[in-house]
Amino acid sequence: MLDAYIQSYNQAVFETDKPAALEVVNHALNDGFSPEDIVFKLVIPAIELMMTLIEKDPDANLAQHFMTAQIAADVTEKMLEKFSKPPEMIGRVVIGAAYGDLHSLGKRIVSGCLKSLMVDVVDLGTNVTAEKFVDTAVAENAQVIAVSAMMVHTATSEKGSLGVRSLLQERGLEQQIKLAVGGAPYRFDPELYTKVGADAWAPDGVTAAKVIVDLIREVKP
Amino acid sequence: MTPMEILTAAATGNPAPRIPVFCNMSDHGARELGMPAKQYFSRGEYVADGQLRLLRRYGYDNIWSLHYVGKEAELLGCREILFADDGVPNVADFVIKNLDDIAKLDIPTDITQHPAWQSVADCLKILCCEVGTTHPICAYVTASTTLPAILMGMDKWMELFLLGPFDVRDELLRKCSDFCRQEIAALRALGANVLIYSTPFGSPYFVSRKQIEQKVMPWMRRDLLPGGNEDIVYYCGMAGFNDVIDLVFDELHIKTHYISPLADLAEAKRLIGNRGLTCGVIDDIKMIHWSTEQTRAEVQRIIEIGKTGGHFLFGNGVMPMAVPEANIRTMVDAAFEYGRLP
Repeated sequence: MLDAYIQSYNQAVFETDKPAALEVVNHALNDGFSPEDIVFKLVIPAIELMMTLIEKDPDANLAQHFMTAQIAADVTEKMLEKFSKPPEMIGRVVIGAAYGDLHSLGKRIVSGCLKSLMVDVVDLGTNVTAEKFVDTAVAENAQVIAVSAMMVHTATSEKGSLGVRSLLQERGLEQQIKLAVGGAPYRFDPELYTKVGADAWAPDGVTAAKVIVDLIREVKP
Repeated sequence: MTPMEILTAAATGNPAPRIPVFCNMSDHGARELGMPAKQYFSRGEYVADGQLRLLRRYGYDNIWSLHYVGKEAELLGCREILFADDGVPNVADFVIKNLDDIAKLDIPTDITQHPAWQSVADCLKILCCEVGTTHPICAYVTASTTLPAILMGMDKWMELFLLGPFDVRDELLRKCSDFCRQEIAALRALGANVLIYSTPFGSPYFVSRKQIEQKVMPWMRRDLLPGGNEDIVYYCGMAGFNDVIDLVFDELHIKTHYISPLADLAEAKRLIGNRGLTCGVIDDIKMIHWSTEQTRAEVQRIIEIGKTGGHFLFGNGVMPMAVPEANIRTMVDAAFEYGRLP
């Protein structure tokens, strides 16, 4: 029976049909599956499948990324409230849009995917200074800082990713805090991430979650 | 031939000495005048002066009247723009903060009477006077299906677009389309004769082809209905749209397509053929770090793909201010050289 639910849920996510996905979850709960089953056997495998599909499919679109993240985050949040004991989180990420940048879509997609993958997300919002990224990461004991930049000048500015890298260097934090970047400029120049001092980048919000999880595991095996 | 005649020849397939070379140097104007971005964009005279100086310096074939995309939000009530001296301004005050604001959103009965329009009108008046008979004058219009992104933020708009409530979404789209129609008419009246119709939601990178056909195309038809499409350029904010080129021809009758550097240019050229004008676009974000040799080689590659068979124009994307001047100069010179026609 679980297989049928997995198939229906995956189909709903692929078609960005949030009501249909929630209906599958409700049916599964009524059939006696636990909230833990829903998250670990339905939601997480679906998002991992979506990551694989998106990586292979250059035609996957932003609406699919957005809805995948929203569905996964919403379902996970609802299920977490019903867990018999708090789940073990795999790590913590501080995320925000770079200084001078007020765009929030990419950050929201990444956050949604990360939450469903059992990553704590500290969202600093938009127009975030390099100091705030680093200070918060230290205070929150985060393994990764994720900086979203949708404009060229905010991606390449000394006040953005480059500023975060400088502070991590100055404070001797480079082994314990990794730096990921994402946003439109990086899609046009896939080498740009190295020039702004980041450890990794991703071409879209869904694969960004995978990249960030990999970085967490580098720091926290 | 004048740049205007060269453009017309490229569009119609008539003989010309070379392909047209279009540049968008919008953000470079402030630096050209040595003033902060906020001051530069405060007056149409400054924008016109900056763009005319850049045109004289590099000698490309067009001129832009665009101030910044957030200008459209200002015309609809945005009260704060975040300016940067090294890049593009952002909308810092969303007009629509919650869904209830959509019912309250007022489209001015005449946007040309709005104080924020004055600088656009002043700029176009000068450009028309200076180069209107010789050069194409480009203006920028955000499509109704994309305008909400600068009124409420892209994530909120994506949510409303995909999840509804759909009556509220359609009310917003109707208002945005009314605005778009007015803006197009006003820009044409002021002498703009190349209208860059920015429609990221018309790209399969943003939404599926099915969503474009069913939910985006009807609004684009409505936006463009009153004045025809002869001067319209289909542009998806640098996202690729090869998969809908046929649809754009069939449904919108738009003949000029601004191809993303991420798309397959050869395929686009094949799809468009001699039905319209293919605009091959260089990746000017890579130009930040390219050598002049790399820039030159890329211009050659693009033009070799596009020049055969005519109906081709060379252009750039956003030309970030971090691109070295030597690369801009190399790009323009190489485009003139490789773009020569027998």
